[in-house]
Amino acid sequence: MAEDMPLVDLDTSALEAAMLLAERRLPALVVTETDGSPHSILPASQVVRFLVPGYVQDDPSLARVMNESMADRAGEKLGNKRVRDLLPTERRELAAVNHDDTIIEVAAIMARLRCPLAAVMRDDKLIGVISASRLLELALRPH
Amino acid sequence: MMAIVAVTVFVGAYLLIATEWVSKTITALAGAGVILALGVATSEDAFYSAETGIDWDVIFLLLGMMIIVGVLRRTGVFEFVAIWAAKRAKGSPLRVMILLVLITAVASAMLDNVTTVLLIAPVTLLVCDRLGVSPIPYLIAEVLASNIGGTATLIGDPPNIIIASKSGLSFNDFLINLAPIAALALAVFVAMLPLLFRGSFSVDPERVADIMALEEREAIKDRRLLIICGIVLAAVFAGFIGHAALHIEPSVVALLGAGLLVLLSRSKPRDFMPSVEWETLLFFIGLFIMIGALVKTGVIGALAEAAARATGGDALVATMLILFVSAILSGIIDNIPYVAAMSPIVLQLTEGIADPVQADALWWSLAIGADFGGNLTAIGASANVVILGIAKRSGYPITFWEFTKTGAIVTMVTILLAAPYLWLRYFVIPS
Repeated sequence: MAEDMPLVDLDTSALEAAMLLAERRLPALVVTETDGSPHSILPASQVVRFLVPGYVQDDPSLARVMNESMADRAGEKLGNKRVRDLLPTERRELAAVNHDDTIIEVAAIMARLRCPLAAVMRDDKLIGVISASRLLELALRPH
Repeated sequence: MMAIVAVTVFVGAYLLIATEWVSKTITALAGAGVILALGVATSEDAFYSAETGIDWDVIFLLLGMMIIVGVLRRTGVFEFVAIWAAKRAKGSPLRVMILLVLITAVASAMLDNVTTVLLIAPVTLLVCDRLGVSPIPYLIAEVLASNIGGTATLIGDPPNIIIASKSGLSFNDFLINLAPIAALALAVFVAMLPLLFRGSFSVDPERVADIMALEEREAIKDRRLLIICGIVLAAVFAGFIGHAALHIEPSVVALLGAGLLVLLSRSKPRDFMPSVEWETLLFFIGLFIMIGALVKTGVIGALAEAAARATGGDALVATMLILFVSAILSGIIDNIPYVAAMSPIVLQLTEGIADPVQADALWWSLAIGADFGGNLTAIGASANVVILGIAKRSGYPITFWEFTKTGAIVTMVTILLAAPYLWLRYFVIPS
């Protein structure tokens, strides 16, 4: 059930990672260490959250007073940032599953970690990913 | 023996609260627990006694106002007013700062200081972001203004609420006696802003358009709720002001107002309960029990007698001493436990002063010293700590010294304004 998906590493440009998510409508990206082993999952929602100013997150009513032209500048925030700058300061448990895990096992990991993407591992090597939509496709497929 | 235990527990708790090694709520509750467990105070002393027990008027006044604010903040009225003001200032950084400072001071007189800075900080960050200026001077100016503005009324600052409950002074007494000095201090503070934050007022003229493009009307989410809140808040203040005629305590007025607002606005608990700071209320409860133990064991009485001897029973000397000592100590340690500990001492001191006007001067000097003194350092008041936290989270850390170097100047100026005010008003003019 694993899919191929582009990978990024911690020092990939944040703008490049955001463009990947945007152009290919991806739910998340797997972020790897320099040796290629998976480090964490970067959900698209995390990148969106990074773009939203802190004061709007503290007071959501302020979003209403800002017009669309202010959204145009949102991308500037990614500027010279790296993927590591987009990740939460406290490293979260990696959503990783084994290549032979069942649909329910994968679903349980995604539900527990609230993650739309899981890294698929075989013998401690990353062989692909599985997204929540792929999981649903498999789960709802008539047998 | 019990006195030694009471003092040891209180001093130990105070040190932990001041250093913030442990959560102050846990510290206060633990201290209260030790007091009760060792029998220094009984449950009768702690829960039912007016002299030694939890001051339920303070607790319920705070609770009522927290619920009211919890509903009020949903209207978006603060955001509307702040953005409207920024646009009126046409993006001039100094004018924006002056208007935001005035809004913060007035709001602080009606709501508690921490809530006020929590409400004003996000919109300040937005305005500064649009202007392309650092928000640090604005955040510092606003919290200094909140401590000054909060001095003006009974409900403006928690130390005032504690003083009112202990002294029996009314909402109108606070308004008549403290609003003038608060207004004067605010005016002087505003005049000082260009000097205090010199170099912080240049802006790219092109950024002004970003401010003018903000749509403040969109901040008002629920017009019906705003009208209801306005009516209920007016009724609550009428209740405070009419205390002499209605004989309803401010705590009851606040609770009735909160209940009425929740009913009329059809708010659900999840809408307003997050605004109730249970940790703060529990902190007060623990604090009152510890201080009650000091009263019961005679420690407070002994301290009051020592203070009376030190001042020779002279009301003017006592007033000035309380003013300056309160300003310094409140700036170093949280002004709430300081005032909670000082109030029973001042109560005993006032009982030895024949002239009621001069006796009340002691209360006013305690209030002014504790409220203005909260500006002295970054840890002098809860609002200061909150604003530093917000600034840090927003990527604009304010260091202890960056705050204190401005806070110390403002405290010195406002206290030096207050001293002649107290002398003239309560010792020269009446005679």
